[in-house]
Amino acid sequence: MRYKLDRRESRYQTESWPDMAYYWYERDPDLYKAEVQAMRKFFPSFQIYQLQDGSGRLYWRGTVQPTGPNGITWDLMLIYKNDHPQVHSEYDYGGSVQILPVAPRLKDIAAQLPIQPEKGLGLGLPHIYRDNFGRDEEYFICTADPKYFKSGQTHSTSAASALSWACKWIILCEMWMNGEISDEVALEGNY
Amino acid sequence: MENNNDAVAARRQALAQALRQGEPVVVTPSGEVEIKEDAVQAGQTGIQVPDGKLA
Repeated sequence: MRYKLDRRESRYQTESWPDMAYYWYERDPDLYKAEVQAMRKFFPSFQIYQLQDGSGRLYWRGTVQPTGPNGITWDLMLIYKNDHPQVHSEYDYGGSVQILPVAPRLKDIAAQLPIQPEKGLGLGLPHIYRDNFGRDEEYFICTADPKYFKSGQTHSTSAASALSWACKWIILCEMWMNGEISDEVALEGNY
Repeated sequence: MENNNDAVAARRQALAQALRQGEPVVVTPSGEVEIKEDAVQAGQTGIQVPDGKLA
């Protein structure tokens, strides 16, 4: 069961314990507002929810068709880490917003592809990573090299930016699977 | 139908080339990726994809 986040509830909690807040959306309500505004502006069909796994993590869910009306419709979850917008290391491939394709599921696609670690395709698909999600391990989209993420006091990478990167990844993935671009071009990641 | 397929293929090819060359692209509210110049000419709005190489 999912429920829509009540923004008043979140704001109330932030005002109650501003210094003790654990979740980024309580600690920094202005950032939360900016995140919501950006998504409402650029991807109005996406809705925000809270994971029902006790983690308190917020996520957006909606669909995109990066290659246009004739292309595949991707059902995506954009899941904030609780310390959004911090990026901790060069290995934080998805930044502080993890992109999980619900349908098609990357694990299902990868299961049909050859595993070629020597080519950089150790998980079957280019530019993906695995992480725990609930009780399962899932494959997520590597949106951009961590050095491109912003997590400063005035600018940070938003869910909207992460989603735009993800749409670019989807284009690359679909074209690669169709044989329109080579393994080398796909792995190079200049897209 | 054939013309439509040709148009779709040409669009994909142009998009692939633009992405490879690092030309600015935008994503429309439906999640469609467009070359920025084409989107502007068509009067479409969208978020410009930030610079960044895929990890």
